[in-house]
Amino acid sequence: MTGALSFVLHAALAIHIVLVAVCVWRVWRGENVADRLIGADLVGTLILAVLVIVALIRSNALYIDVALGLAVLGFVSTIALAKYIADEQMF
Amino acid sequence: MTSVLQAIAILAVFTGTAFSVLGVLGFIRMPDVYTRLHATGKVSVFGVVLLLLAAVVLTPLGFSKGLVLIFMLVLGGPAASHSIASAAHAIGIPLERFTRDDLAAVQESAAISHATAENPLPPQA
Repeated sequence: MTGALSFVLHAALAIHIVLVAVCVWRVWRGENVADRLIGADLVGTLILAVLVIVALIRSNALYIDVALGLAVLGFVSTIALAKYIADEQMF
Repeated sequence: MTSVLQAIAILAVFTGTAFSVLGVLGFIRMPDVYTRLHATGKVSVFGVVLLLLAAVVLTPLGFSKGLVLIFMLVLGGPAASHSIASAAHAIGIPLERFTRDDLAAVQESAAISHATAENPLPPQA
């Protein structure tokens, strides 16, 4: 791995961790329930991005498996919570 | 060949990170829930997919897993955003600076056309 690619990957990792922190702060101080749900969904997506960057840095495809599981669980939990705040029941 | 792949990966990682930063900036700065959803949809569809393109190009054995994850994100991200927006409209979260609310008009006309003597319209507020 050359120096330029390593630098870009580490900078992207730092930026994504800062973005996760910003989104967690926004979920903590959210305006209403849908705003907090958007924030939680966004935190899941950004952690997915962090896992993909870690897979690139370590050059190991195992982290992409973890990202796959996290993507499926995040999608199902977002749909279930949206249905819960709309209908006040999940099923 | 390797340097070309690394250049593609650097470009993809840079663009994906830029999309993520812009999406989170829109999530902070946009005025209401629906416009924030418009901004955060970009993070899952463009930001992570471009990072995964870099992973597909560079990581050994990560090719098919990356493509499956790209397919899943492109399929699932708009569905999740749509369900959040539909739930927010159903519980009556207001829109900021809007000109017309087509979904409310459709629901009102459906309620009028389905109203009968046994099932009258609800009283207007």
